[in-house]
Amino acid sequence: MERARRGDQKAYEELVRAHQGIAFRTAYLIAGNAADAEEAAQDGFVKAYRALGRFRQGLSFRPWLLQIIANEARNRRRSTGRRAALALRAAAEETSGGAAPSPEGALLAGEERERLLAAVNGLREEERLVIACRFFLGLSEEETAAALDVRRGTVKSQTSRALDHLREAYG
Amino acid sequence: MAELETALRQLGTELELPPTPDLASAIRGRLERPRAWRRPVLIALALLVVAIGAALAVPPARTAILDWLGLRNVSVVRVDELPPARPLGRLDLGREVTLAEAKRRAHWLRIPAREPDHVFVSDALPGGRVTLVWGTPSNVRLLLTETNGRAYIQKVVQGGSDVEPVDVGEGGAWFQGEHIVMFQDRDGTFHEGKGRLAASTLAWQLGDVTLRLEGNISKNEALRWARGTR
Repeated sequence: MERARRGDQKAYEELVRAHQGIAFRTAYLIAGNAADAEEAAQDGFVKAYRALGRFRQGLSFRPWLLQIIANEARNRRRSTGRRAALALRAAAEETSGGAAPSPEGALLAGEERERLLAAVNGLREEERLVIACRFFLGLSEEETAAALDVRRGTVKSQTSRALDHLREAYG
Repeated sequence: MAELETALRQLGTELELPPTPDLASAIRGRLERPRAWRRPVLIALALLVVAIGAALAVPPARTAILDWLGLRNVSVVRVDELPPARPLGRLDLGREVTLAEAKRRAHWLRIPAREPDHVFVSDALPGGRVTLVWGTPSNVRLLLTETNGRAYIQKVVQGGSDVEPVDVGEGGAWFQGEHIVMFQDRDGTFHEGKGRLAASTLAWQLGDVTLRLEGNISKNEALRWARGTR
């Protein structure tokens, strides 16, 4: 971190590698498609590099970075006028043709998973994003607040409201 | 209910997300690209810091000017000589949107009697910034910039140039001739490197909205525009 702050590009590249996964996935959730997410993450990392001098030591890097990248992602989403929420999909199960039918337990789990996913996709945008950040991406409250550009208290209240709605829908 | 939270975490691991591209390699070239404009900007920045530091070192003078203007969010710094700054040609206005979209995003937006040719929004300022342009972005005839709430605008004017209080909105001022304008950034600082040379400007306050109309127009024309903006 310190080397990157002093302008060491190799050190910054290491920092990028360490955070690119979470940065890209956060951008993807917000921007709604992979192309915009990639651009947002790239631009965000470049901006963060140029702004490293303003980054206050002692703070954690990840919320600061996610804030910059999420902001890029939001800008792209707004500028393309896309409003429809990204519908999340569960990865297709790898069942090969002719294989033995899944055990009943696993099949039920699959159905349950689809039901839960549908409930999440049915949430309002803000709640869906807060759930995605907290549980799907595993971001902390602080990181979620930074990424969604809201206060920590808002993250708390939206999370609990979203969980209530999910319980109603998912049962 | 922790069960639901556990189920959500589990679901997160099973989501179909696109693979992360190799961003570190992708941005490598962009970190290395030499920036030819760096030196002049740095010089301008250094000069501005000196000029502003000197003027702001006398807070009572600054406050007096602010009160006199009735513009809560505009501060004026007088210097003996304007430092070099970017001319109007290179504007960073943000993203172009339709007027309707700008209104949706900034409910506080005030609209002049004549519809603008282009509208830009930017998130660079704390409360957001909307810029209305008449003419084309590369050949701006008139520029109306609106900021909301806590966004501060700083103007650096040369010692003898005219800054005249005018009666519009809750307070306004007419800046005759060239000066430098800077917008406070989201993190609360003025980025001197982003200061640019501005033409004659009318700045005024309507509620929480600070407006500045800039262009090659007379004071009276500017005031007519301002009074037609609501």
